[in-house]
Amino acid sequence: MKLKYKVVLKGAADGVVPINLAFIDKKDIVDAEISYKEACQLVGNDFKDDCATVNVIDPDAVTVTSDGIMSDGAVVAFACADHGIINKDFGFMNVSEIPYSETLIAEEPHMKQWNTKYYRGRRLHRGPSPEDRKPLESHNENMTMTGRITNNNTGSEMMNTVDMTEILVLFFGQMEIMRDGDLLIGLAGPMVSVGIGMVVRERRGRIFGWNYGAGKTAHNSGEFAKTVKRDCPVIAADKKVVAEYTLRALDIGLVPGLHIACSPVALSIAKAYGKPIAFDNIEESAWIELESVGLTRKKLEKPSKPMTREEIIAHADEILPGMEGGIKYKATEVAETRYVEI
Amino acid sequence: MRLMHTKLPDFYQKAIDAGKKLRPETEVEIRGLESFKTGKLASLRVGRVEKEIVEITEDPDVDKVEVIILPRNTETNHTVIIKGISKKDGKCKKAILESMYVSSPGEDCELFDVEEIDDRRPSL
Repeated sequence: MKLKYKVVLKGAADGVVPINLAFIDKKDIVDAEISYKEACQLVGNDFKDDCATVNVIDPDAVTVTSDGIMSDGAVVAFACADHGIINKDFGFMNVSEIPYSETLIAEEPHMKQWNTKYYRGRRLHRGPSPEDRKPLESHNENMTMTGRITNNNTGSEMMNTVDMTEILVLFFGQMEIMRDGDLLIGLAGPMVSVGIGMVVRERRGRIFGWNYGAGKTAHNSGEFAKTVKRDCPVIAADKKVVAEYTLRALDIGLVPGLHIACSPVALSIAKAYGKPIAFDNIEESAWIELESVGLTRKKLEKPSKPMTREEIIAHADEILPGMEGGIKYKATEVAETRYVEI
Repeated sequence: MRLMHTKLPDFYQKAIDAGKKLRPETEVEIRGLESFKTGKLASLRVGRVEKEIVEITEDPDVDKVEVIILPRNTETNHTVIIKGISKKDGKCKKAILESMYVSSPGEDCELFDVEEIDDRRPSL
């Protein structure tokens, strides 16, 4: 019996990808009757002379991006392997399900998306639980570590600590890889660099916790925010995919800067769609970062004719800011399917 | 026992002495604590490490010992102290404290080609 997995090999996307990135469908692990950890080890064994990160994806679950947009699919475990080793203490992490509760919906307004027709009743996985994180300490990020390889932010930021390369694999991009969809691959650039710091407040978030809410910046770096991740390679979904998911949030009345993050993408789509923006709730420190990439309050408040949902998706490439030198790829052009003997 | 700690320079010397105990010509290389200029090490562990260094050299084929000290959890949490100094009197007018995480290569990088790994660390 063999286990199927997908991998974006180091050097893919015309050399932009610096690390082998493997993805396993949870269903294939269940069918093989092995544990997530055993599955990650099997994939790690396929890279005996190299390194790889491994994410286990449940396409039927749901998760939330750092700016508060709900997505199909979720990372339910993540690992990193260096020359076939997965570190016994820090190399693998499970991501437990977060049960539905009215308290969660009340405390985290962006989670109203969970009750829409798209996501209702589906399992939620965001960041790992305190039990999942053991033996990490409280200061540690949601990171697995083996040798030179780390897989951080619940499987979305992969690094090699020896050659010091890194790549961001945004969750919408991971799902496009899983469903042979459409990708945008390039460098983060100033817009993405700023946007990554615009987050929502969540208990057990994939990346952030309760410290920073909508309208704030977790970067709080002033004009330096646009440079902190500017040169980092990124695998993202095609912008029409990001637009569709963001529109679903705006369609139920969620407001950037109040319920969802004030990221350049959320603000730009809300502006084009004629939806409200919580201008006064966006803190000065966040405005400084937004204005440093040309996204000023004056521009956003300037009257414009709202576009339809269909128009926004059709013109997503012009409306959604972000990435430098981004090239569109079919996921099948950069990810290959492999099988490993169980 | 918990109160007993070894001075950092003494640890270096003890490790060298242990490495050369059976055969004085044995080369001993210690690395990993270069950024520590002073400090105290738990003496219980120092004693064990001395004993283990001798144990490693009991193999007659061993003519070099490497002693590598790494953070066990390699995502380490550091404090950044930013001090503004006046050249006039050398005094610090203000300091800002920040935190900084550093992710660095872990033990696995040192162990790929090792034939036998005897892990005597307590579990976390």
